[in-house]
Amino acid sequence: MPSYELFLVLRQMSRPELVSALKRTAESILDKGGIIRRLQNLGSRALPYKISEQGLVHREGTYFAINFDAAPAKISDLKEEFGRDVDIIRRNVYKMEEPEKYECTLHEEMLPPAYRKDVQDMIEIAKRKQKPKYNYNSGLDYYPFQK
Amino acid sequence: MFKLTKVIAQNASALSGISKNARLLSTAAVRYSSSTATTNSPSANAIDSNPDEPIQISNPFEKERKVCILCKHNITPDYKNVKLLSQFQSPYTGRIYGRHITGLCKQKQEDVEKAIRRAQHCALMPTYHKDLEFLKDPKLFDPEKPIRPHKY
Ligand SMILES: [Zn+2]
Repeated sequence: MPSYELFLVLRQMSRPELVSALKRTAESILDKGGIIRRLQNLGSRALPYKISEQGLVHREGTYFAINFDAAPAKISDLKEEFGRDVDIIRRNVYKMEEPEKYECTLHEEMLPPAYRKDVQDMIEIAKRKQKPKYNYNSGLDYYPFQK
Repeated sequence: MFKLTKVIAQNASALSGISKNARLLSTAAVRYSSSTATTNSPSANAIDSNPDEPIQISNPFEKERKVCILCKHNITPDYKNVKLLSQFQSPYTGRIYGRHITGLCKQKQEDVEKAIRRAQHCALMPTYHKDLEFLKDPKLFDPEKPIRPHKY
């Protein structure tokens, strides 16, 4: 099972309500055969922009991040279920991927254009796209094709 | 007209004299080199220990390899790290600075842009301005001095 991260923004609620809302989301993940790895509370604060959700305008929210493993086929069901929840303002599921080993290419990018690999490739493509041209001083005294 | 032709004729003679001299010089050089070659060839060991021989060294004018700021500190941008991401955002318009301003390599710039868009969608970051908390953060780069000029 691939690991995912669910980012939740819950609306401003009292503590018991908040707990029940979180429990609901967690249980829906567990019901789909998922495994919850980690639950982070990122605090509550004023939203950077007002969000209208479920017929209400929200200006404050509480942020949570839940790391879980689940079958990829179940993700759309989960999204649909969270979409119906009244207490959730934002729900985003992202796949957690290991960062690939990567070498900085800034040095190659800062070279003069003629030395850059992508520019050289572009020049090669442009050369390939050149149509063959009739040579006017080829010795023939007529243009051999239709003009 | 007559004068002109005279001058040209003089010049031509002078030129021929120079070329003759050059030929003489070149023949002398050839003779010299051949003589040195003949004197040196029997003692091959002497050439190896000759201090005047050119030494093989790496290019002394090669520039140091440039590394962008995120690769230098080995940072992978994360969408929850809002304080870092807001440094790549304009305080006036909330737009993401381009690669010619940030000075990042292609991959890292792409990662930063993706993370910022994610954060904005998750209501972690504002879209039309920079978060007021982070307005006085130290600057990673100067937007007024881009690597490549732009029209904004
Ligand atoms: Zn880099």
